[in-house]
Amino acid sequence: MKDQKRIAIYGKGGIGKSSTASNVAAACADEGYKVMIIGCDPKSDSSITLLGGRRIPTILDLLKQHLDVNEKDIVFEGYGGVKCVEVGGPEPGIGCAGRGIIVAIQKLQKVCPSMKDMDLIIYDVPGDIVCGGFVAPIRKGLVTEAYILTSGEYMPLYAANNICKGLAKIDTPLSGIICNSRSVTREEEIVRRFSEEIGSRLIAFIPKEQIVQDCERDGFSVLEKAPRADIAQVYRKLAKSIMFNEQSILPGSLEDERLRELTR
Amino acid sequence: MGKELSIMHPRPSSIVAALYTLRDLNVDVAILHGPPGCSFKHARLLEEDGIRVVTTALDENGFVFGGRQELSSLLEKVNEMFKPKLIGVVGTCASMIIGEELHEPVLDANLEVPVLEVEVHAGYPDNTKGVLLTLESACELGVIDREELERQKVLLREATLVEKRHGAASKQYLEPSRGDVKYKVAGRVVRLLQEGRKGITIMNAKKETGYMFADISAAVNEVALALGRKDHVVNMANIDDSLGLPRVRHHAKCITADLRERGITMHEVIGGMDEYPVTGARVSELIKQKYSDYDFVIITGVPHAIPMESLEGMEIISVTNGPRQVLPLKEMGHHHVIVEIDLHPKTLGVNHIVESEFGATLREVAKDMLGR
Repeated sequence: MKDQKRIAIYGKGGIGKSSTASNVAAACADEGYKVMIIGCDPKSDSSITLLGGRRIPTILDLLKQHLDVNEKDIVFEGYGGVKCVEVGGPEPGIGCAGRGIIVAIQKLQKVCPSMKDMDLIIYDVPGDIVCGGFVAPIRKGLVTEAYILTSGEYMPLYAANNICKGLAKIDTPLSGIICNSRSVTREEEIVRRFSEEIGSRLIAFIPKEQIVQDCERDGFSVLEKAPRADIAQVYRKLAKSIMFNEQSILPGSLEDERLRELTR
Repeated sequence: MGKELSIMHPRPSSIVAALYTLRDLNVDVAILHGPPGCSFKHARLLEEDGIRVVTTALDENGFVFGGRQELSSLLEKVNEMFKPKLIGVVGTCASMIIGEELHEPVLDANLEVPVLEVEVHAGYPDNTKGVLLTLESACELGVIDREELERQKVLLREATLVEKRHGAASKQYLEPSRGDVKYKVAGRVVRLLQEGRKGITIMNAKKETGYMFADISAAVNEVALALGRKDHVVNMANIDDSLGLPRVRHHAKCITADLRERGITMHEVIGGMDEYPVTGARVSELIKQKYSDYDFVIITGVPHAIPMESLEGMEIISVTNGPRQVLPLKEMGHHHVIVEIDLHPKTLGVNHIVESEFGATLREVAKDMLGR
């Protein structure tokens, strides 16, 4: 296998993981990289903005119907040739979404030989690692580096700090912190300090801009719908740092008191 | 893959299949990673067969918080207590659903002894999946070679097909049955021999079950000898001792030696003791070439793997150890179907042929009929 980046983006629910993942995927595709994005959230909305707002059948949808699943049934090409896959899952409150991820990921590996040809595979994982299944992509050796997305607010940083503890426990290197701004005062500085104190670094600051929302609502990434917007350039830069990153560390974590102090 | 037939009666478990396969690979200790009661009955039976089976005994807390620590410390403990040369770790439904990894605790324990990891649960429609997962793990660890793995894969596929065609997986619901009365069928066999009819015994047994099915072949030959009809019986059995996993070859050696000691000629060796799903073709060919004029046939073990075409015109007596196999065998056209109840437990932990109920009945009935 050639040099392949296999990353997962973690962060508090609602912080913008899917939106960042799909914009990074689109930016990398623009650069000519072969990219796959695997949505591991039962909500199955990771790839929607790469597919013009279209929803694709999920792996678990098909497995549920006892269908013979092939690559062409679950891998769909979106913007710039990005290959989109959704794991899917049970309805909220029923069954076991964690087991669903395990089963779907195993199936995908089995039936999808083109995974090997990718330059970048992004696992878009649910915000909260609530059970064993949610770390399956890492545990099964599929993800080799993690990124954490956070804002400068206390709660997202608290979640990020917990994720650091988790990553260290399961021996997964962290390649950087991405700040998705919520326009908090001194935000960039706060997140930069946090990154450095856990032993990592801030690799991108994504300003809060309405255009991201607007594109998303229409079913597109910024890169596709508004390629000349300033923020598209931010995503391009982030994509480049991810593709060229060679610095990963097992993160430390902060005491809660220190976290509060940082965000004060 | 269409929608599979949903079978209502209880089916063999893939977890148990993994345990038996670990035994065939000669592991000294098998660890079940899951709740204490999982696979209890078979775990007990396997202890009779000389392997230790222990459990991490996950409870409600284990389900909620995971059992990484429990498994690694149990690995350390069994290593100290039993000094094993090879260990197997087997998943269960509970541990697999909560996403437990077997590899990490094995790394944590960091033993010098090789550990076979089998991530299996009992939710597969075919229990052969448990065998397959175990063998794949064994191949990865170098306990068996790739060639043996490929050979086993073919056999497993065939075994599954045999069950779907005419076995316990052939119908949505199969009523268990005790089959025909042994006393009557034994009488029929003695009479056939007395009348000078020619018969074939075919033992097509699954691994260790052969220790009891071989007794039936032996009994038929003893009776024929007593009647002066020794030459009227030919024997076939799947006891090639050069095929299969180490333990399976050992069974074939033991049974061959026992039969020889009893003065029984094995005319045709039809395969290894794990080849019961594929011996049908060989049996058909042999009958066509040499024995098509025989009058009756006594098939033991997995009788439903022998194709009916080759048995045309013969009176068919079959002996199974599966109460759910009676109906499918009757539907295939077997005239007499006998069940050796609880055969399997009696064939665990033995190195010699053990007496079967049908064999014993046959010997007694013959004695009575011959007035001795």
